[in-house]
Amino acid sequence: MEYVSPEGLRLDGRRPMEMRQIRAEIGAVAKADGSAVFEMGNTKVISAVYGPREVQNWSQQISDKALVRCEYSMANFSTGDRMRKPKGDRRSTEISLVIRQTMEACIMTHLMPRSQIDIFVQVLQADGGTRSACINAATLALADAGIPLQDLVTSCSAGYLNSTPLLDLNYVEDSAGGPDVTVGFLPKLDKVTLLQMDSKLSLDLFENVMQLAIEGCKAVANYIREILLENTKQLEYRRGL
Amino acid sequence: MGLPDASGDLSSEMEVDAFRRLFPLRFYERHLAESIRPDGRPLGRARDTTIALGAVTSADGSALAKIGSTTMLAAVKMEVMTPSMESPDEGCIAIDFHMPPICSPIVRPGRPAEAAPVVSKQLSDTISSSGMINLKELSLVSGKAAWMAYLDIYCLDADGALFDAALLSAVAALFHLQIPAVSLNDDGKIVVSEEDGGKLEKEPVNKEKRKLTLRSIPFSLTCILHKNYILADPTSEEEAIMETLVTVVLDSSSQLISLYKPGGAVLAYTSAVQDCIALTRQRVRELQKILDEANSGMEVD
Repeated sequence: MEYVSPEGLRLDGRRPMEMRQIRAEIGAVAKADGSAVFEMGNTKVISAVYGPREVQNWSQQISDKALVRCEYSMANFSTGDRMRKPKGDRRSTEISLVIRQTMEACIMTHLMPRSQIDIFVQVLQADGGTRSACINAATLALADAGIPLQDLVTSCSAGYLNSTPLLDLNYVEDSAGGPDVTVGFLPKLDKVTLLQMDSKLSLDLFENVMQLAIEGCKAVANYIREILLENTKQLEYRRGL
Repeated sequence: MGLPDASGDLSSEMEVDAFRRLFPLRFYERHLAESIRPDGRPLGRARDTTIALGAVTSADGSALAKIGSTTMLAAVKMEVMTPSMESPDEGCIAIDFHMPPICSPIVRPGRPAEAAPVVSKQLSDTISSSGMINLKELSLVSGKAAWMAYLDIYCLDADGALFDAALLSAVAALFHLQIPAVSLNDDGKIVVSEEDGGKLEKEPVNKEKRKLTLRSIPFSLTCILHKNYILADPTSEEEAIMETLVTVVLDSSSQLISLYKPGGAVLAYTSAVQDCIALTRQRVRELQKILDEANSGMEVD
């Protein structure tokens, strides 16, 4: 199957280095301390952060830093065929762990000892790149909750099909069997916190694909900064400043 | 608990927020005495309600309903199944209500919320007893194939009146539902028809996408009873303080479909119940209008 046409267009009409359209909104869940909705093309994810709050299970309390918990779950209707077991299956547990460790790296946990920060992510529509959308949504929700972060974490995926590096794979391209590189990046510190890849890729091509994913992360970071700035202006305006 | 005058002495010196947290019942009673609630609503008014149809593009029918801050996302997915022996001409609807941990600070992962299975059961009972859907419409080939409609409702924000919002989103999703076009191929299996019209071997069972005919659409209103006040459409704060709830479900022709009062400290006289029903009747008219507006908004596109 041809994923990149001879004119250089992908299945959904994008160029190989073009990301899908991103859209984000802060404060979607009124009850949460911080929340955000993040869309990358047709992938739509909602995230809520509760915390810092008292540790619910006293035995798990850490005396010098905050406990970070994360749960990833997919809605039954999010994928093409209805899912039987949206959470508790191996994939969801793995992604929950990945998101938790990624966010834990950038939260300044030492500032909030003996407390708990809960990050919940729910996938409403899945069209490839759910891991990345979840990390981006979690970053926005943490920023909305006012939790001190060392830097924003942004994430994007890239792959390699028909001898072309492709940025931001959708579901069809992801299931094509080619390599899929997901990168979690801290833009200000210029550091990589998450790097996952499956399938096979030669080392020199891998450098290319990873750089492409990092460029995608930087683009997402710019967009997230704009959204946060706009949000702060709104808050200022509402307070009459 | 405590001395009756203790809060009275402090109330003049304390900040409003502290008073609200420490003495919630007195805070509310001060407001109710003036026939108003802390968010400025009169006692019988419900919060602003919006419905957006087609929120989930990958589902066959979907709707997002918001009553105040309470947000519910409902989506219907259709699958083909073999009908049971007792009713070979009927399809089936499976309704499931989920409260993921994002909706409220009291829901913990791994431990489902107490309200979730209660609302789930209430919803299935209400929708099946209202006769809204004729299951025979979901049949494809008698005795061999019928539609199974999976209706999943996710609570994205829990701020009181969960059943009302869930029912509204379920009804809107079923309203928006379009049954896919399918045909029967040689092996006797049902396949989704191609858009350009299938080959001759396939016998179209369902020529084109069609909507369900909904007979009587149920709408509901939850009220809280406290002393002799009736508060319509409670927020989660009000539900936590004053625990006696009454839920009335009426259909569009104002026939009573269900009445639900699960215990509670306040005993209701018939007059109170009739007042609740009158409030619900008014609410049904509002909701019907909102649903029609949402539907006509879709058709313009």
